[in-house]
Amino acid sequence: MSKQLMKGCEAVAEAAVRAGCRFFAGYPITPQNEIPEYMSSRLPEVGGTFVQGESEIASINMVYGASATGTRAMTSSSSPGISLKTEGISYLAGALLPAVIVNVSRGGPGLGSIQPAQSDYLQATKAPGHGGFHTLVFAPSTLQEAVDLTYEAFDYAERDRCPVMILMDGCLGSIMESVSLPAMKDPAEFEETKWAVGYNGQSRPTRIITSIYPELVLENNNKARVETYARWAKEDAKAEELLLDDAQYVVVAYGIAARVAKQAVLALRAKGIKIGMIRPITLYPFPKQSFAKLNSANVKAIIDIEMTIPAQMEEDIALATHCAIPIHSYGRSGGNLLDDDGVRQAIEKIVGGEA
Amino acid sequence: MKNILIISGSGGQGVMSIGITFAQSAVKAEKFATFMPLYGPEQRGGSAKCTVIVSDEEIISPLPSKCDTLIAMNEQSLKKFLGELAPGGTLIINSSRVTSPVNREDLRIISLPADDIALKVGSAKIANVPMIGAFLGYTNALDSEIFLNTLTEKFASKPPQIIEMNQQAFQEGFAVGQAAKANA
Repeated sequence: MSKQLMKGCEAVAEAAVRAGCRFFAGYPITPQNEIPEYMSSRLPEVGGTFVQGESEIASINMVYGASATGTRAMTSSSSPGISLKTEGISYLAGALLPAVIVNVSRGGPGLGSIQPAQSDYLQATKAPGHGGFHTLVFAPSTLQEAVDLTYEAFDYAERDRCPVMILMDGCLGSIMESVSLPAMKDPAEFEETKWAVGYNGQSRPTRIITSIYPELVLENNNKARVETYARWAKEDAKAEELLLDDAQYVVVAYGIAARVAKQAVLALRAKGIKIGMIRPITLYPFPKQSFAKLNSANVKAIIDIEMTIPAQMEEDIALATHCAIPIHSYGRSGGNLLDDDGVRQAIEKIVGGEA
Repeated sequence: MKNILIISGSGGQGVMSIGITFAQSAVKAEKFATFMPLYGPEQRGGSAKCTVIVSDEEIISPLPSKCDTLIAMNEQSLKKFLGELAPGGTLIINSSRVTSPVNREDLRIISLPADDIALKVGSAKIANVPMIGAFLGYTNALDSEIFLNTLTEKFASKPPQIIEMNQQAFQEGFAVGQAAKANA
């Protein structure tokens, strides 16, 4: 299929429709409004349902309801709106329901800034709601990757009956680039979801969707989560590795920051500096395998580049490297964007031992 | 070849729409393109800026620190974004709205009364078109035919005089750009 220039939010929305998403509920907030706007006209075209909820909380609970019927369902918001949805995300996790949640993140904390930022790493990876659970967290870096990961996210969500989060910042939401879109899936051809409300085959009792359980059941569900998360760590962690073989310095960055960082890494390589890069594609599970390859005898320092202050991914890097390699960080926040010169100069300073 | 362009002005001056049309044209010409908008919460009147990168190779970072060309549609945007224009860069000014002198010696400056041109051809709303015309006339960043085709497709559902008006506005700007190139 030929490539077309699309806006990030719209590309992600179209990818969701093609993945079989037939229900979307959301509430407006900058910079993700183009997702609900697109869905409001696109979903009716394919027999789907779009609802602008009266609030974020109502919207995530509508997604809960739609998902309970076996319908592929999605919501999107931006940072403060995601905070409001966290109760519902926890209920989805508790009820073992699949859903895709897109966070087109902006500056924070608080109402923060409408400009792009990567300030929601900790929320997405550590506590996307109360109760001690995780979602898969995908962090695309280009629009093509955003399209591909959103398309796959629905399959992952259904496979493990859990919410999956796409964490992309406001830059990726509003940027336009060429993408090729994946094939349209027909929900009528999906395997029947035997866990869904309304499934009545095989003389089994009607399933009841709930997120409150007798103690024994709840603990067993939580024990099953331990196994699921271990499997994710082993099988589903993804990262892009660049020029690591002889690297004395390793830049770590995800999403939009990774693109700015990659440009800097290539420029510094051209100057003869032995520098490489790890770009986590899944933030949860964190791609520890890529860090296990680093030899602390060779790597002098890790440089964590994020579009937020203070750095948030640093803790996961420290865990993944058993604190064996010094970590420096550089970021911008408050609606100030990372830029090529700023990132390159910051890395040069660290490499030169000035920082 | 890689060209980094910033188009800036106030909301309502067509900064975003002309940037998108340029990026779409570049994709049609089988180049790589990124369009990155930045604006405040205002619907009209606030500052509007977009960065368009067009390149023969894949674009890694869409967040450059400096641009090769700055189009300034008004005084406020010139002041705000002049610092982002690289030394030796090209500054294209809408002289209908920018009256104060530019205090940098290291630039090539192309000046055209875009509002007046737009009004003359029939609509004050299309001052963005002569500005991009001057850019393409001066830089060869893209074949002007491809751009005009994209512009024409965009207005396909509108009366033919709209297309004619836009083409005329484009040609006037393009001529200014070409003349500047001849004198360079």
